[in-house]
Amino acid sequence: MSEDANPAATPSPCQDIQGDGRWMSLHNRFVSDSKGKEPDVLFVGDSLVQLLHEFEVWRKLFSPLHALNFGVGGDATQHVLWRLVNGELDHISPKVVVLWVGTNNHGHTPEQICGGIMAIINVIHQKLPHAHTLVLGLLPRGKSPNPLRERNASVNALVQAEVASLSHVSFLDMDPGFILSDGSIAHQDMKQQQYSPSDVDNRSFTC
Amino acid sequence: MSAEENPAAEPAPVIDVQGDGRWMSQHNRFVQECKDAEPDVLFVGDSMVQLMQQYEVWREVFSPLHALNFGIGGDTTCNVLWRLQNGELENIRPRVVVLWVGTNNHEHTADQVAGGILAIAQLVLSRLPRSKIIVLGLLPRGEFPNPLREKNAAVNNLLRASLPQLGPVQFIDVGGSFVHSDGAISSRDMFDFLHLTASAYRTISTTLHELLLQMLEEMPQERRASLV
Repeated sequence: MSEDANPAATPSPCQDIQGDGRWMSLHNRFVSDSKGKEPDVLFVGDSLVQLLHEFEVWRKLFSPLHALNFGVGGDATQHVLWRLVNGELDHISPKVVVLWVGTNNHGHTPEQICGGIMAIINVIHQKLPHAHTLVLGLLPRGKSPNPLRERNASVNALVQAEVASLSHVSFLDMDPGFILSDGSIAHQDMKQQQYSPSDVDNRSFTC
Repeated sequence: MSAEENPAAEPAPVIDVQGDGRWMSQHNRFVQECKDAEPDVLFVGDSMVQLMQQYEVWREVFSPLHALNFGIGGDTTCNVLWRLQNGELENIRPRVVVLWVGTNNHEHTADQVAGGILAIAQLVLSRLPRSKIIVLGLLPRGEFPNPLREKNAAVNNLLRASLPQLGPVQFIDVGGSFVHSDGAISSRDMFDFLHLTASAYRTISTTLHELLLQMLEEMPQERRASLV
């Protein structure tokens, strides 16, 4: 799938609709952070990555690994792609890049989302030829079974298949069993049942 | 400004555009919690409220006050109004309701947003005539000065003037310390220049906690009265 055909793989900045320029502020801060620091691990993605930084688990498990966090809530693959193409990888040489994005690609098919994730993986490999990329699987979402769960599961299957032949990429399924036997997800595990894994379950995301 | 004139005072649920029904799931859970719990304090609003429960400060400071958290990220005054009219005030008699909403009302003017918040306060007072209300001012947002900061400040000024007229309603502005002398907000206080970090919540919780204690102490407990 060419980049022109796939909106999920076309680098796009977030438009400042609200009026306070926060997305660009965050991007600029990440670029300037990357000039001053030497991370061994770079986390990049959406709110699932961003929120990780705000909880105790980051200080305990990831800071000691010299990790940087370039997560932005609400980002879809095309936004992360734009950020990485526009400076966020230019001044650092992490050994591992942890990529977690795709759940916010509303309106895109699983194939398009997979294409977006692969485009990001390719950019990372071009800019950081010695880095290993760890792609995290999309989590299930919503209290009960719904189309987005199916979509996310399809994305995971597609990505897993595509990266199987790549030595510089690994795929990690992040679901420790959130879905209960009746198909539901407990709110104790996911506030809003999607994008704010509760503090307790941040601990289960230890790679 | 009546509800017909003010779109920010018109109750409206969130339409499930994404496809996983999460907003309604949360609303239904809150309605169920009203049947199970007997909170003394009810927090209601948007992500400012919701996120608070994710940090340690909630367990340390607000849980002991028997507080329930009915915050939903992204909510506008319209959404909160709908939720409160559709079950989230049933079966409970909190002595204090803490209301924090308005920063997501992007389609509305400052006047309309303030009117929406007033409408919520009026609804709460009509359903819970013995409760007191704390309304938190909208926080500044964005890394640098921008139109939303001005808008939120304007909402706060309107609330400061009009809320006391409703009766047992207190307005507090906890945003004072976040804007530095150069006009910038630090990501150490707001990790995305909108949502608060754990340490920023600690800072604002001190003021809020003190006010809550004061209000709770002023009011005779209903249980005591019924034993006499």
